[in-house]
Amino acid sequence: MISLSLLEFFGGAYFLVTEVSRELWRRPFYSRLVIEQVYQIGVRSLPLVIVTGLSTGMVMALQFGLGLEKFGGKPYVPKIVSLSIVRELGPVFTSLMIAARVGAGITSEIGSMTVTQQIDAIRALGTSPIKKIVIPRVLGCLIALPLLVAIANAIGVYGGMVVAVADLGLDQQFYMQKVYQTILLTDYMSGFMKTFFFALFISITACYYGLNVKGGTKGVGTATTMSVVTSSIFIFVGDYFLTKLFWVFEQWV
Amino acid sequence: MGMIDVRNFAKSFDGVQVHKKVSFTVNKGECLGIVGGSGVGKSVVLRSLIGLEKPDSGEIYIEGEEISKYSEEQLIPIRTKVAYVFQNGALFDSMSVYENLAYPLREHTKMSESEIAKRIHEQLSEFGLAEAESKEPAQLSGGMQKRVGLARSIIIGPEVILYDEPTAGLDPYNSLKIQEMILRLKAKGSTSIFVSHDMPSVFAVCDRIALLLDGEIKAVGRPDELREDPDGLLQKFVSGEAG
Repeated sequence: MISLSLLEFFGGAYFLVTEVSRELWRRPFYSRLVIEQVYQIGVRSLPLVIVTGLSTGMVMALQFGLGLEKFGGKPYVPKIVSLSIVRELGPVFTSLMIAARVGAGITSEIGSMTVTQQIDAIRALGTSPIKKIVIPRVLGCLIALPLLVAIANAIGVYGGMVVAVADLGLDQQFYMQKVYQTILLTDYMSGFMKTFFFALFISITACYYGLNVKGGTKGVGTATTMSVVTSSIFIFVGDYFLTKLFWVFEQWV
Repeated sequence: MGMIDVRNFAKSFDGVQVHKKVSFTVNKGECLGIVGGSGVGKSVVLRSLIGLEKPDSGEIYIEGEEISKYSEEQLIPIRTKVAYVFQNGALFDSMSVYENLAYPLREHTKMSESEIAKRIHEQLSEFGLAEAESKEPAQLSGGMQKRVGLARSIIIGPEVILYDEPTAGLDPYNSLKIQEMILRLKAKGSTSIFVSHDMPSVFAVCDRIALLLDGEIKAVGRPDELREDPDGLLQKFVSGEAG
């Protein structure tokens, strides 16, 4: 049963991606709808992303600082915290937060439109739900998520610095100097580039479940849960393979 | 060949054959009523006429053009010619009444915003909805939502109008209002299909009535013919003996 619904999901998501890639280049273009989505996904998620980034950086610094203190390893805190945030935690935690907030929102919104025949109305009025609904949300995620991750990374490193200075007694200049010395462009990009894939996982999954809601309002709830669970799993599983891919790429460069 | 021709339409859902061989013709300027019991698939036939559903087999002709295998892109010109009035209005709940009506005009015409505003005001006045312009769909009664849905469907002047239970769940006053609007559109020459359970409305607006039963059209006739045939299937359906 589970394998059948998985197969159904992969097939449906594949067709959705195909349709999005085909219709993306065809007129008319709804740039206003894309801007609206960038605002909804990006600007309105900012408080959540700031809290996530800040707490991640602070907790990381505290855990590593206290753990490494016994071995005299406190000076390594800036290096460990910034690398972990930029390569892994910033992109993954931010994407998970967006999957929960935005993915759930997209699925429930489109799902409600499906059960109230608004998606059918879009089609009946001679327009395309892919162009009107799906593409703006996919592009909105593709634009907003990398920007949110960039902000989360910066805030996370800053949060680490606050703890390093206040609780671990490290010098602020020393902390920043170590961060600049440690983080290379390849480190930053290996985390940052993942966000484009995560944005696709979140938006395509959310739109797919929204468009395929069955069984009225109860179905909307089920689809929303499925959307968040599926995109979160994709983020975790995809993260492993993308890390491996970028690692090979870094060695090659 | 009529304005709409459906030939041997067949469709099944989850292995159950709902439509076996549905065939009918609607001539230009005519209003055909399709009646039948709940679950016989009246709305599915109607939805198929604009490609919202695809038949398993059979043909659908709109003005001689076979559309049953058309892609979504090929269906766009058909959908500007054939309007669909949804049972619950299917209004976009994130938009006001004005924006709902502006939607097809912005998508399919080159009208300026002032021309669009003028057209919408005219349409809303004609439908007795002038005060509803800035309201959200959630603020409207069921009858008003249906009227706005009808106004939105016909605002770009389609040649064919498909009504899916337009009077279902309405009080006699709103039901009569909808009937009047349909009759007004009919007088302007629109071709239409009227799917309903509401027999008084069907008799009031339709030129011919078709009974969908057991996956086929079992009887077709003018309302007066059907009224005068007490042994006919349609008369039995009306009296509750068939369906």
